Amino acid sequence: MKERALTIVSIIAALALFVGAPQIVNAYWLGVALQLLSGIALTQSWVAFSGLTGYVSLGHAVFYGAGAYVMALLWQSAALWEILVASGFTAAALALLIGYPALRVRGPYFVILTLGLSELCKYVVIAIEAALESSGRLLFDTPDPVFLYYIMLLLAVLATLLTWGLARSRWGAGLRAIREDETAASTVGVPVTFLKIMAFVLSAFIPGVVGAVWVLRTTFFEPMQLFSPTTSFTIVTMAVIGGSDGAPGPIFGAAFIVILSELLWARAPQFYLVLLGILLISFVLFIPRGIYGQLTALAQRRRA
Amino acid sequence: MSFLRVENLTCRFGGIVALQDISFSMEKGEILGLMGANGAGKTTLLSLIAGNVAPSAGHILLEGERIDGRSPHRVNGLGVARTFQIVRPFAGMTVLGNVMIGALYGRGRTMSLRHARTQCLEILDEVGLADRRDLPAAALTLAGRKRLEVARALATQPRLLLLDEVLAGLNASEANDALDLIRRLRETRMLSIIIIEHVMKALMRLSHRILVLHDGKKIMDGEPAEVASDPRVIAAYLGEHAHV
Repeated sequence: MKERALTIVSIIAALALFVGAPQIVNAYWLGVALQLLSGIALTQSWVAFSGLTGYVSLGHAVFYGAGAYVMALLWQSAALWEILVASGFTAAALALLIGYPALRVRGPYFVILTLGLSELCKYVVIAIEAALESSGRLLFDTPDPVFLYYIMLLLAVLATLLTWGLARSRWGAGLRAIREDETAASTVGVPVTFLKIMAFVLSAFIPGVVGAVWVLRTTFFEPMQLFSPTTSFTIVTMAVIGGSDGAPGPIFGAAFIVILSELLWARAPQFYLVLLGILLISFVLFIPRGIYGQLTALAQRRRA
Repeated sequence: MSFLRVENLTCRFGGIVALQDISFSMEKGEILGLMGANGAGKTTLLSLIAGNVAPSAGHILLEGERIDGRSPHRVNGLGVARTFQIVRPFAGMTVLGNVMIGALYGRGRTMSLRHARTQCLEILDEVGLADRRDLPAAALTLAGRKRLEVARALATQPRLLLLDEVLAGLNASEANDALDLIRRLRETRMLSIIIIEHVMKALMRLSHRILVLHDGKKIMDGEPAEVASDPRVIAAYLGEHAHV
């Protein structure tokens, strides 16, 4: 009971901090907070599918990029919220298209396939843009950064609620069963293909909207950058470091990576990526449950 | 109409014929034993009935309805549940969590986690795993995992239960408990059961009828006493000149 109260209080405090941040911090730190929120939103949506099913997707950059592309194409020709919703649905539709063939394979094959498909999508967009004789699109009259920040906060909260709810639901139980043993799951009645595809589609929606918000913030759409596989790698790193079996993990992971990059990026950029690599390997080898998973395991051991 | 009818079932894996032209039927509430040496095709037969493997030819009918060629979750939804010879628990989930998957997605699927939990606690009690319900499934002994297989299958509320060597690896008293459990389950739940078992004594005592497979072909089916004295069965089991 005490732990529960503590959790609720810290959630409220964190939310209040994020809501008040634009009044407290300068533009630079607001940018960092935006990074953090987008990291949370992206990683939550990844965990909702990959964390629960064990199908490691390296394709989430596609959904992010697709959302950004929709925004770049439609900006100023429709209302902001309409484009945001369209971005989300485009990403989800893409997930349906990709998921149907890709989810027939598992393990390393799925990982490589999603990476390959995401590179394919990137070059398709580059080819389309080249055919349209566009080399990057500038977005004019984009909304105020503080406004975008609040949209991102909303997305991070929505993504967290989504993963939290899914992880505790019947659907989430089915997805975990798929992760543990897909054959056994289908034998006790779990409609594995349907659950996987629906979770994949659901997990693509949020990254689509995040990408759309992000391109409004940078005001420039360039496919190489917005479809970069680095986005997928960062998401996976955050999930692995934070923990990928529920909603708390991604918050820890995103906070850890964003703070680390703030501390090191400017001072020792070469060292930063090396350290990130070392950390990722160490977590996979020694703390596969991630920060949050390890904390709960320690707490349980202490109680026992 | 028979409860389960298998007609001319054949299953090939590449050039290997695992099962050839198998036909049999069973009645509701019957316990049918499957007997045969290693590689005779017993597990393959269960996999075909449960939908894990699609037959190359032939039909399987459950109360007149074709179930062959359907995916395993659909077959389960129609009331067929199986256990695996090489146990396949959801290792990272708790014992209760394992069984709840059956209750949430099987034939009797419930949408409510709380409802599923109540049902599963009863089942765990029945199979004797209630005290271990919060342990990760990976922490169970082999005997425990075999019980878990049965519990998870039961939670789907099957009409036909397929048991693949649930007694293997158990000691004498554990095996006796398991036999009692199987009989009790059949009575309280009106189950029909197909069981594969290498312990002949257990199979003879438990089964109403026994089907004997040899090299993917059906040798015969009949009551345990008939089977035990059939010269073809003795030949297949002990070699052609066993009487010498």
